[in-house]
Amino acid sequence: MSTSVAGRRRRQTLDAVHRLVASAVTLLFLLPLLWAASASLRATGTPSPRALEWIPSPIAWENYRTVFRLIDLHRFVLNSLFVAALAVPLTIVVASWAGFAISQLSHRWRLRLIAFSVLCLMVPLTAIWLPRFILFKEVGLINQRIALVVPAVMGTSPLYVLLFTWTFLRVPREVYEAARLDGAGPYRTWAQIALPLGRPMIVAVAVLTFVHYWNSFVEPLLLIRTTDKMTVSLGLRVLYSLDRASWPLLMTGAVLVMAPVIIVFILAQRAFMQDVHGRSVLGE
Amino acid sequence: MRDRVQFGLMLAPYLVGLAALVVLPALAGFGLAFTDYNALQPPQFAGLTNFRDLLDDEIFRTAVANSLFYIGLAVPLRLAGALLTARLLLRPRRGIHLYRASVYLPTVIPDMAWALIWLWILNPVYGPLNQSLALLGIDGPSWLVDHTSARLAIILMMSWQIGEGFVVCLASLQNVPRDLLDQAAVDGSSAGRVFWTVTLPSIAPGLLLLLFRDTIFSFQANFVPALIVGRGGGPDYATTFLPMYIYTTAFGYLRFGYAAAMTCAMYAVTGVVLWLQYRVAIHWRLGFGNVD
Repeated sequence: MSTSVAGRRRRQTLDAVHRLVASAVTLLFLLPLLWAASASLRATGTPSPRALEWIPSPIAWENYRTVFRLIDLHRFVLNSLFVAALAVPLTIVVASWAGFAISQLSHRWRLRLIAFSVLCLMVPLTAIWLPRFILFKEVGLINQRIALVVPAVMGTSPLYVLLFTWTFLRVPREVYEAARLDGAGPYRTWAQIALPLGRPMIVAVAVLTFVHYWNSFVEPLLLIRTTDKMTVSLGLRVLYSLDRASWPLLMTGAVLVMAPVIIVFILAQRAFMQDVHGRSVLGE
Repeated sequence: MRDRVQFGLMLAPYLVGLAALVVLPALAGFGLAFTDYNALQPPQFAGLTNFRDLLDDEIFRTAVANSLFYIGLAVPLRLAGALLTARLLLRPRRGIHLYRASVYLPTVIPDMAWALIWLWILNPVYGPLNQSLALLGIDGPSWLVDHTSARLAIILMMSWQIGEGFVVCLASLQNVPRDLLDQAAVDGSSAGRVFWTVTLPSIAPGLLLLLFRDTIFSFQANFVPALIVGRGGGPDYATTFLPMYIYTTAFGYLRFGYAAAMTCAMYAVTGVVLWLQYRVAIHWRLGFGNVD
């Protein structure tokens, strides 16, 4: 009798310790973002504090207006949205086409194409910087916003094609078979059977693609020359080059640029985490 | 028959795009390595000159050493971090998806924003890191001024962005056969022993793939940190990792052929590291031991 009470108490203690450690670790991961948010609210021009400060006083909300005055953030956001607005739908269509076709091919061809995709996934991006830059220069795509959309033509990343392949492979073959007997060709089966069944994966790939193009730094760095065509990440670099010591404004810029990604990620978090790896990974 | 044509058409944009944007550029990179090319005049065949120059290039040697130092510390740290965090947040409980989403969150932050944030965090006087250390009575290093601490700082900031590894570990841990774990518990093994003798061997194949992927990723992922936090690879080339030096050589000095030769060398270094990891894994029968 007493041992079971002791056992229960022990388990409760362990549980509390676990909860504490889990919370601490989680907080550690959020710490850089919290620090950035806190620093973004300090009044500019006041001497930086010599001791750790969580909530600045006074809170300088006007930093968020000042940044828009200092750099043309509106334009940078519009440019990034322009790229994402074209790249995301294009990626979904191309990647889901390819994924669907691969899932319907014979076993042998499927394996070959999957292996080829994995191989391409392994090619380091650094290895492609130079030749791709030269290619884009030859076809006159330097300093064109549309150049940033070009990777969407191949579905942005072989990973997205593989994700769609796995999604469509999980649908029982009879479902496709029935559509075929009804006289539906590949395009109709893709549009009317595969896509509706793969909706969670569409959301997941859309989020991944949006984050990819919004965050992209190296491609615009290599391809974009003039300020009016820059995307948000390059805009942040402009802000940084204006004043390297104005920490509150730099952090404000960082918070503004990462806010959309964080919001999209949190909104789509379930679809994102559940389906990227085939089943519920985050949160049962 | 008609179907096969249509499937071919559905695959076409992907395969043609992949050929034009990945396969051919990757191959062209090899060709470029044997030329002198400044992107203004047409490339001149240069034979092995670029590769011979690499051998005498002290900065290149530094860059290789820096990259290996980075890989040697960052990859194990990232893997261990991902695995331990996944183990910690494995059991379903109230609010678990919030915990897990928080761990993933730093990974989706744009590289440029992440770099600026760490530039602030690492500021020796005003940065919150040294101020927190001061609370503990520790006199923090002047991070980005000093050779070793600048490199460690970049490894530190990259240890936060481990969301992908975390999710993969979580998925592998959830796949560990329940009955094996129960059996070990019945046998009276301690939790630590169960982890070493049951859990780790059964997730080893996934971990090994993650190790390979993270190694390839880590070789190139330190470019933006080196550019911004290292302010172009400093101090004194301490954070001049291979991608940073390739970028400077190509787009700073317009020596595209030489930069391409460096890229080939980076391929080779990556290959050797992967091969060594594979040998070690075979030796310890990690990931392959439970296949046969």
